[in-house]
Amino acid sequence: MAASVRMDLGDIQGDILRAYGNDYDCTTYAFMKIECPPEQARAWFTGVVDHVTTAAPWPPGEKPLTTLNVSVTARGLRALGVSEEVVGSFSREFRDGMSSRSALLGDVGPSDPKSWEPGLGSGDAHILLTINAQRTSDHERALGKMKAAMDAAGGLRIVYQADTELLPGSREHFGYADGFAQPAIEGTSDDKARGGGVPLKDGEWRALAPGEFILGYPDEDTRVDPKKRLPNAPAAPLGRSGTYMVWRKLYQDVALWRRVMRDAAKLYEGGDEHTLSAKVVGRWTNGAPLVKYPDKAPASFDPQTPGGNDFRYDKDKDGMRCPLGAHIRRSNPRDALGFEGHLSFRHRMIRRGMPYGKVLPEGVTADDGEDRGLVFVSFQASISRQFEGVQVQWLNAGNIFGLGHDKDFLLGDPHGTGKMTIPGKPPFFLSPQEVFVRTRGGEYLFVPGMTALAALADGTAG
Amino acid sequence: MSVQTSSPGPITATGTQPRNHDGQVIAITVFSTIKLPGRLFLPVLFQVTRRVPKLTATLRELSFIHFARWCVIGKLPYNGPPQKKGRFRYPHMYFESNFNGGWEEYIDAFSHILTSGMTAFWGTSYGFPKPLPTAPFKRYIQDNETEADHYYCAYPDATSTMIQRALELDEKLAALRRDAKRMQPDAFAAAYRAFLTDAQNAL
Amino acid sequence: MRRTRSSTVASPNVSGQAYAFMAMTPVRPGEEKPLADYLRGLRDRGPSPLAKLPRTHIGRFVIVPDFHHDPTWKQRREEHLDLNYLIFTSNFDGDLDSYLDELCERLAPEAKEIWGRCVGCPESAKGAALKRYLEHNQIKTGMFFAAYGQATVGAVKSSLRQRDKLIEFAIRAQAMEPDALQKAFLSEFDAVR
Repeated sequence: MAASVRMDLGDIQGDILRAYGNDYDCTTYAFMKIECPPEQARAWFTGVVDHVTTAAPWPPGEKPLTTLNVSVTARGLRALGVSEEVVGSFSREFRDGMSSRSALLGDVGPSDPKSWEPGLGSGDAHILLTINAQRTSDHERALGKMKAAMDAAGGLRIVYQADTELLPGSREHFGYADGFAQPAIEGTSDDKARGGGVPLKDGEWRALAPGEFILGYPDEDTRVDPKKRLPNAPAAPLGRSGTYMVWRKLYQDVALWRRVMRDAAKLYEGGDEHTLSAKVVGRWTNGAPLVKYPDKAPASFDPQTPGGNDFRYDKDKDGMRCPLGAHIRRSNPRDALGFEGHLSFRHRMIRRGMPYGKVLPEGVTADDGEDRGLVFVSFQASISRQFEGVQVQWLNAGNIFGLGHDKDFLLGDPHGTGKMTIPGKPPFFLSPQEVFVRTRGGEYLFVPGMTALAALADGTAG
Repeated sequence: MSVQTSSPGPITATGTQPRNHDGQVIAITVFSTIKLPGRLFLPVLFQVTRRVPKLTATLRELSFIHFARWCVIGKLPYNGPPQKKGRFRYPHMYFESNFNGGWEEYIDAFSHILTSGMTAFWGTSYGFPKPLPTAPFKRYIQDNETEADHYYCAYPDATSTMIQRALELDEKLAALRRDAKRMQPDAFAAAYRAFLTDAQNAL
Repeated sequence: MRRTRSSTVASPNVSGQAYAFMAMTPVRPGEEKPLADYLRGLRDRGPSPLAKLPRTHIGRFVIVPDFHHDPTWKQRREEHLDLNYLIFTSNFDGDLDSYLDELCERLAPEAKEIWGRCVGCPESAKGAALKRYLEHNQIKTGMFFAAYGQATVGAVKSSLRQRDKLIEFAIRAQAMEPDALQKAFLSEFDAVR
């Protein structure tokens, strides 16, 4: 099949296939609860849908000052009047919601949904509006408009709002360049296939089938189907051009991370905490991958330049360069699991994370009480296969990598024990594992296509 | 501090009911109805596969499975009424596996990686839809699968890979234990480092 | 009896020293639900009865109500099971004969609730009578795959424990000087296994 897939970009919401993070500095996520009858909610929704940004390319020089995107939870679909039968055509995990999957996801202990922030995981979040803006002033104006429309409609309430802003140099709070390693998708980002697609045996790569990320298109399974069946999707018209969205607010304990790395490094290579931290992550802070630069970070490295993300693990099977348990190697193993990528190619997702909160100044190792971290967003055709598969089998368990029960050292769920092996001669062991990242709340959502949004607004979605 | 197997392992046995897994290990139990050619072909296939280790090399390399078995059943032992006596019209194949990971990941791996093996073992079963694409194949397995009413593993928190590496580790450690007492501290420290270097993928 | 008691290496039931046993017995009509309830409830009442057979690596009980049939298949005649069948399989160490002896003795209380609900099971559901019943209903294995068929349950468990111990030691020992390292190693690992 290959490059013959044409995506109906005008029917797909923006920000899924292309990151707005590069164009927009501020993002607000506003979760609403519908407290009025479906007809009244749909009247408001119709007004919202008119302003939704699609994936259609902007004419040169006409980049909008702000963008708007909409997604819904299973309860949101019901609140808009969608029938149980149609809601039942959505995936099980979406209908059950993220908080019901907490044991599976490792959202236990301090990440337990019982202690999530109010409005998240409680069933109150129905609709998520995502607003991107180039400048703070545009941002405030867009938010004002949104609130005015809500007040005019009545029966709607914002139950949770997260305001996020890019940090200098596209870093996340632990200090690492983030968000540039994305799956290459046929018909959209074929040029990013090297490093972003499926690693083939001959050293080549190929882009992933679009149906892995957008419903209504062939996926990695059906691309080889002579009968051209399409992957499972919700009932028409909701199943076309839509995708599932995972939204998580992850608190990062930056001071704890720095202290643990500083103290652990006392026994590691003469106290080199930067190398030790890089071994945990799999990249240097500027984003340079350890597998290519094992000894020290290159003075200048821009992960966005062509080839910046083009690497494999085939020359590093024992993890001497990049540990087998390094965060980036676990969350996207590329060729590391062998078998021509066949154990990993169905577990890719589009990530659109945005940091929130103020940076903890460099060198500070005492917690300042500020709330900071990452709003993790991913888009995928199947939450259970893609997001949960990665979370459960790759991050919270180590078996597939031959790492026993070792969890991802950066994110793995908190058990108070655990370790990470830094391969070497001899190896170094990081232990015990601390809780650097805590889940503060989250939702499973669905991002309808434009036709589907119109049907939801009209009450004709079934 | 107990770090590994003695603490409960992670939740990995997804896609199945609680009674159909024990800790990290999932049961799969599948019957399929065999067409006439399979009656002749399968016993030969079993014989050959047992005798040529190369044929199961990929299965071993995947390292998901603890134990698996195939049985072709043409007739059930008779135990008196109300059981009916006699042969089946078609032979039936019983398959069981005891594996780690999630149900969906397991089937995906088999469809994509052991494609020809799947076809060899199930190609003579009625309704077998080919291993690829995986969606109809998964439906076929689901339709033919019966979940266990009771399932037991003596070491539920261990995975097959972990066990195989722990067994290798045993041998390596035995050598160091044998020599440790006779060595000078510096020589021992060097031997210990060499042992860790050699054994690190088992830890 | 359909087969010889002792298994040889060439037996398809055997891989390494591991044995694959399977018995498939008809469930007495009316006993399907009580049997399922009993088996499904075992976990709530304590450890699995199979834990009383320390040679057992992995075992299962499955009640199969029928063969699956799909009208779209090009199968000339549908075939159904006459009754529900109970499948018991075990992957265990060593020979079948002594394993069944152990099973029929140690699992006597449970066996009455399990095979006691099956057609043709002797009333006592224990000892030599139960053993004969299970042997009679054995299904021969066509092919058996064992990832570590050379290792007994005891060997598996002890190597896992040793791995745990070694990980714990390796973490603790990172800060040790050679002298202390050797002493700690000897005190941890020199004891008899």
